[in-house]
Amino acid sequence: MLRVHEVGKVFESARGRYVALEGVSITIKPGEFLCLLGPSGCGKSSLLNILAGFEPVTSGTVTSGGKPVIRAERERVMFFQDAGSALLPWLNVEENVQFALRLRKLPKAEWPAIVETNLRLVNLDTHRSKFPAELSGGMRQRLQIARALAADPEVLLMDEPFAALDALTRRHMHQVLLDIWQRTRKTVVFVTHDIAEAILLADRVAVMSVGPRAAISKVIEIEAPRPRDLTHPQVAQTFHEIEDLLEPELQRSEGLAEAN
Amino acid sequence: MVNAQHSLTSHSAEGRERARAGLQTQAVRAGLLTLSSLVVGLAIWQFLSSVLFNPFLIPPPSEVFRTALPMLASGEIFADIGISMSRILVGFLSGSIAAIVIGVLLGRIRLLHDLLDPIIELLRYLSPTAMIPIAVIWFGIGELSKYFLIFWGTFFIVLINTTAGVWRAPIARQRAAECLGANHIQIFTLVVIPSAVPYIVTGMRVAMASSFMSIIPAEILAADSGIGYLLQKSSMLLQTNRIFVALVTICVLGFFVDRVFRLLVERVLARYMSFVSQM
Repeated sequence: MLRVHEVGKVFESARGRYVALEGVSITIKPGEFLCLLGPSGCGKSSLLNILAGFEPVTSGTVTSGGKPVIRAERERVMFFQDAGSALLPWLNVEENVQFALRLRKLPKAEWPAIVETNLRLVNLDTHRSKFPAELSGGMRQRLQIARALAADPEVLLMDEPFAALDALTRRHMHQVLLDIWQRTRKTVVFVTHDIAEAILLADRVAVMSVGPRAAISKVIEIEAPRPRDLTHPQVAQTFHEIEDLLEPELQRSEGLAEAN
Repeated sequence: MVNAQHSLTSHSAEGRERARAGLQTQAVRAGLLTLSSLVVGLAIWQFLSSVLFNPFLIPPPSEVFRTALPMLASGEIFADIGISMSRILVGFLSGSIAAIVIGVLLGRIRLLHDLLDPIIELLRYLSPTAMIPIAVIWFGIGELSKYFLIFWGTFFIVLINTTAGVWRAPIARQRAAECLGANHIQIFTLVVIPSAVPYIVTGMRVAMASSFMSIIPAEILAADSGIGYLLQKSSMLLQTNRIFVALVTICVLGFFVDRVFRLLVERVLARYMSFVSQM
């Protein structure tokens, strides 16, 4: 269980002090699929970096399974939008997955089975000797998923992972991710600025307000059964509910951008 | 260079065959173009020296070739090539190793970088040529002064590239490794250093070219052997044809050394040289 309690984050720079997050609280249940939704610059990526342990909080606490989060650990694996830089370009598909196993210090005898399972799970088992540069954007993201799963984490932290993909590939990746999540029951924290994406995927959507002093303004449960269809009345209603919530935030965000 | 191999992704044997045939046609085409470029160049040279200018000042290629033959036959030119190359090799290798070690530290330790960067930024403007007079006083006209001058030229180029490469290892890549369980040493050795390889190799290639530029003035001013010394001696004796033999030798040698360097990199480091585009 991931608990975020009254978290604040302040960035100090030459240009001054910026209060990115203030009073952010949320509890993420094991096996849950949570989306952090908000417009650009709302601090959702900062929150994710804090959850990963990459950045310290300024105030408040973050705990994972009761232990305070103070550094990055294998139980919470981060998944990056730019798979090109997150993967190791000098290793082929198979070796990128083995990299996670080497860091787990697993005996080599166990490697082939785990590599096999995870490459099959993301449908890359026929491309194992290709290098990341030879893969499409969607394939690279699938490789990143396979590598993350090989580390056997409890939580997958995903920072707008499919934002750079074309619409068709993106839809396919949603299915791949949901399928894997339903099979492995990992906790997923998924950051996005796309309302439709959040509604299609999540158990709960945490809507964030625009910074400075961003916080979670509302948490919405999505109960519609998967696979979800945006034209389904119940889903459409949730969509509009979130849209109404975000509308004033977007206007504020634009106002702030113009003021700058 | 990596991509040339990897672009052969078609799975059918027929497709691969066609792709190979296509590459062969390309190679033949490139070879023919190079050949015609050289032939035209030689023709213009011959024309200029025999028609437009004094053939004593610009000896025609035929004359240069005639002069070169006995030098090649007696092995005189090879002795000079050997001595110049060994100087370049010693200076280049020691300079590269020192620069890589220090560059990696500078790229990783912020404080060290901030302390040493101003000095490096000033010293890098001292070209090896500028250092010749003091090198002669420090090390005499023996081998050591040439080693030192090539080392000096190589060091700063490779150092700056190595530092930049280590510095620019993608944060996402380091963080990804960190949350997969890598400790600081593993992030450094398994992620940061391999990420810097393309930068280091580029630096070494530039430094190799610069070594070829600096060995000549070093040997002209402070040596009694080598290609530079051959230039100097021939100039004193007004032997323009021998000067041209030396100049052509430098061109051909530099070209081949760069090719060998690239081939070595392709063989040994190919997988580290591929940059992945930002999707």
